[in-house]
Amino acid sequence: MLSRSIRDDFPALDRKINGNKLIYFDSAASTLKPKLVIERLSNFYLNNYANVHRAVHTLASESTQMLEYTREKLAKFLNAREEEIIFTSGTTMSINLVVESFVRSGMLSSSDSVLVTLVEHHANFVPWIRLSKLHNFHVDVVAPTGRFGELKIEDFNVKKEPKIIAVTFQSNVTGQVIDIEKIREKFPNAILLVDGAQYIPHKKIDVKKLGIDFLAFSAHKMLGPSGVGVLWGKKGFLEKMEPFLYGGEMIDKVGLDNVTFNVLPYKFEAGTPNIGGIAGLLFALEYLEGVGFENLEEHIKKLTQYAIEKLSKIKDVELYGPLNENQLGIVSFNINGVHPHDVAHLLDEKFGIAVRSGHHCAQPLMKILKTQSCLDVFPNSTCRASFYAYNTLEEIDILAMAINKIKEWFDVF
Amino acid sequence: MYSELIMDYSKLKKYKGKLKDADVVEEGKNLSCGDEITLYLKFENGKIVDGKFEGIGCAISQASANIMLESVIGKDKDEALDILKNVYAMVKGEDFEKEKLGIVKELEDIRNYPMRIKCFLLSWKTLELALKKQV
Repeated sequence: MLSRSIRDDFPALDRKINGNKLIYFDSAASTLKPKLVIERLSNFYLNNYANVHRAVHTLASESTQMLEYTREKLAKFLNAREEEIIFTSGTTMSINLVVESFVRSGMLSSSDSVLVTLVEHHANFVPWIRLSKLHNFHVDVVAPTGRFGELKIEDFNVKKEPKIIAVTFQSNVTGQVIDIEKIREKFPNAILLVDGAQYIPHKKIDVKKLGIDFLAFSAHKMLGPSGVGVLWGKKGFLEKMEPFLYGGEMIDKVGLDNVTFNVLPYKFEAGTPNIGGIAGLLFALEYLEGVGFENLEEHIKKLTQYAIEKLSKIKDVELYGPLNENQLGIVSFNINGVHPHDVAHLLDEKFGIAVRSGHHCAQPLMKILKTQSCLDVFPNSTCRASFYAYNTLEEIDILAMAINKIKEWFDVF
Repeated sequence: MYSELIMDYSKLKKYKGKLKDADVVEEGKNLSCGDEITLYLKFENGKIVDGKFEGIGCAISQASANIMLESVIGKDKDEALDILKNVYAMVKGEDFEKEKLGIVKELEDIRNYPMRIKCFLLSWKTLELALKKQV
């Protein structure tokens, strides 16, 4: 397990919530932020902050260097080129950028088909479905056939190889890590876009080795600030793509009849970026490298397997996802007869445990879970406990005890 | 928040189900959790004489729907709208006329749980839409 001293970096963990010490199990929504990241960010805002790229003064230069250094760091982190790293406001914006740019560039037309899955977060589902209606391209939808939303490689069964495959690296509901390498093997020629929002915070990946073409992720799920994310794309595609937003640093020459754009990656970075957020992402990444991604993954694996073991022993608790070693960092569950909002409210009020309840912006997946559910009434939503560096096995014991108490209060036996 | 009153009202069966001869049927949704409610109201001479609801939801939303129907059955549209106005004031933490709310005021504590107000208001907002339909 990771050292307990990591917990000292997160002052929120000393907070009392309704008289109990906070247990933060909502990292899949957004992680807590380490003191060090906040202090470095505060120092940056206090001493170095100015707008980037345009001015020649010292502060502008320091901020620009910080932004470009973050880009360099991210390129190394992913084994990519610097000009392929585009700063966005988050995963949702990154994915919307790709979909909209593809359509605008004529790279996605009525004869093309896109493959998406039913385990996607709305951000990697709705843009494809919606724009297919507006631009007449075809969308094939892969339904998971495994245990409670578990996606298998055999499920990717289509007659014609799609032009684009848009798939998540890890489900934000079930925690299943999807085998991207096998998808690549099965569809060697498709353009592969990966939603890395949930997975990138857990593991250092190599985009070249994986053979993917686009990757989207957010800083706030990996100890950094919200409002900043990354789109990595292969240079060849990015060069052909029409920008999604116009203005600011992305402009080259503006005439009345014609406009030309800046080179990559600036072509896709319209307006003033989230400069502090980008600096914060760098500090978060450096913090995580200090912890070590391998240690982090190992720690989260242990927590997840322990939670699966503990919670699956509780009668009338239904656990979602594959419940095997491919499930990482997330355990989604329901108590028969108790609505997830009631569970989450009582976990907070009586035990200081923060979990997320609801449909997790994955309504199509909720419908799949419902088909296999043995609950008397499936509430169209789940309770989700999600773990990160600062969680412990003892906290999972408290969660299991709390679930038993809630069952008693609701007369579930 | 999970008082005996709320727990009891959340399990009440009296108002659960479909009202076959309803004059107004209205659907409501809570977008954050996917909960849905279908509200059935029957009117006679401008008065709500019967009501039922279908749908699943948390204890707060189910208790609130039961208490809502108990409060408005027997009232005419203006009286129901008056109750509604006071319910909205109550959840916002504004002054409201306690005597007009009866048992609903026992749920006043909901104002301290901003994340649960949507659950509490689901049936009331659906009532508002249903009353708008009733000419």
